[in-house]
Amino acid sequence: MEILAKVAFGLYVLIILAGGLTAVSSTSLVRALVGLIVSFFGVAGMYLLLNTPFLAFMQMLIYVGAVCVLIFFAVMLTRADGRGEEAQGVGAKRRLYALAAALLPAGGLAALVVRHAVASKQLPVELDLPALGAGLLDQYALNFELISLVLLVAMSGAVLLAWERKEPK
Amino acid sequence: MSALSLYQLVALMLLAIGFFGLVRRRTLVGMLIAVELMLNGAGLSIVAAAQLTDANATLGQLGTLLVMGLAAAEATLVLAIIVVVSRRFGTTEVGVVSTLKE
Repeated sequence: MEILAKVAFGLYVLIILAGGLTAVSSTSLVRALVGLIVSFFGVAGMYLLLNTPFLAFMQMLIYVGAVCVLIFFAVMLTRADGRGEEAQGVGAKRRLYALAAALLPAGGLAALVVRHAVASKQLPVELDLPALGAGLLDQYALNFELISLVLLVAMSGAVLLAWERKEPK
Repeated sequence: MSALSLYQLVALMLLAIGFFGLVRRRTLVGMLIAVELMLNGAGLSIVAAAQLTDANATLGQLGTLLVMGLAAAEATLVLAIIVVVSRRFGTTEVGVVSTLKE
């Protein structure tokens, strides 16, 4: 069974890597969005391996179901085809900066993670759904209310920003 | 290498890919996609740390749900900003969009 878990882990890593690389380097934004969705599914698989099926479900519902549809609306507002704004290549200097921005923080953190490894359990904790719901309504009720407030403010802010004022005649 | 380190390295891989895209992309939509990748890596890192150590598992899972909610709010606001920018400038290329007020 342990071999099976390792195989699944490697498969999910490959899915995340392929999706992520498509998402950041494709010239067409629609393809980039499909890459993003593939990488979301890979992360959902990681959540399943970590014994948190509820989070895997939420990952699909919120990220794939809501956030990706939002980004698709944004893609429709821009010229996203193969000859669109992203199609013109970027200079070598820009690519070098991008590589440095990717490798410096992540490389430093990776060295920290590898050198000061925390002792980890062999099997992930088992937490049932009622305990999660009780925590949401009991101990972390304020956070629950605050995130609803943040979502409300973001929604009304988005409506206000995109509001088209009628010119007075 | 312990299981926790492996999951953290995957999360760092998502962070690196996201940073690469954030700097490389020319349009606001491409940058939004890169930011979503990074937020996903943050969520994975939090859940792995909560599930594989003695830390509070409830807190970790709820924290990741919070990150997901924040990502949704952020995507909504960026969508509105993209609508405004593309209406005013006719493009969402970041090199072109550089004036705050005329």
